[in-house]
Amino acid sequence: MATTIPLFASFKYADSLTVVGISICTALVCEAISWILIYRTSSYKSLKYSIDKAAKKLETMKTENPSSKLSIKKSKTKKIDRVETSLKESSRDLSLFKFKSGAVVALVLFVVFGLLNSLFEGKVVAKLPFHPITIVKKMSHRGLKGDDPTDCSMAFLYLLCSISIRTNLQKFLGFSPPRGAAGAGGLFPMPDPKTN
Amino acid sequence: MRESKSAKLNQLQEDNHQNVHLSPSKLAKLFDPDASWDKDQLGDVLHWIRQVVGLICGLLWGSIPLVGGIWIILFLAISSGIVYGYYAMILKVDEEDFGGHAALLQEGLFASLTLFLLAWILVYSLAHF
Repeated sequence: MATTIPLFASFKYADSLTVVGISICTALVCEAISWILIYRTSSYKSLKYSIDKAAKKLETMKTENPSSKLSIKKSKTKKIDRVETSLKESSRDLSLFKFKSGAVVALVLFVVFGLLNSLFEGKVVAKLPFHPITIVKKMSHRGLKGDDPTDCSMAFLYLLCSISIRTNLQKFLGFSPPRGAAGAGGLFPMPDPKTN
Repeated sequence: MRESKSAKLNQLQEDNHQNVHLSPSKLAKLFDPDASWDKDQLGDVLHWIRQVVGLICGLLWGSIPLVGGIWIILFLAISSGIVYGYYAMILKVDEEDFGGHAALLQEGLFASLTLFLLAWILVYSLAHF
């Protein structure tokens, strides 16, 4: 440990490594809490199974009966509607279930962000290799003095860490929301918000 | 009834865990145009391809260093090109079976962008200041 401190001290922006390190630890702790409160429960497993099954069934039914076919039977349409309704209900139940347990994880994240904020407020933790657009600059230059737009604050770096590390960790551990669930995926899939 | 459902859930879990570990047969499947793909499996593979590309680009461009917002656009183009080339030319899948080009190209896009930015910013800050 004593040998590593001088090594990191030679980096001007060594604080960025601290932010990343704390983000990784936080992500692991949050996923552990989520596993204890959500993922290992039979309710979650059965809901996920129902959603996966319904989504696959719906896909098969829609592939066999594309909407362009005019001769589609009324009974088939009703069946598709029934499966869609079941899928939506299961997705809603899953979201509700995760929301209740996600409050603990949200508290942990809040505390960690507060801690990081107190440690690095007003400090430039990294340098951006690009000039950010105005919307991004509001976050990347948050709490920093001066006008250099390439100065990076803890908040922006932490945001990048949170999204990239948590999303991939959830994916790796198999905790990502099922693709069939309403609102899952999309253009900007975030780490599961119900566990944030 | 309960036992069979529980067994199915356990099997599903085992399948998820198996997906994490790459066996030689699974590695071969990654480059086999005749292999059959599940929507989830293909989505996961495309996700991880994007993450690897994002990480490599971030590390590389931070080391050189490449500076400027244009390199973000270029990363998105390269990353999307690699993903498209993989599923269209190597795997030769019919994108309509998987929700179209948009669905396949957006797999892991945002996570890879943030990972790329993180790697780029970190390497640039640590190596050049």
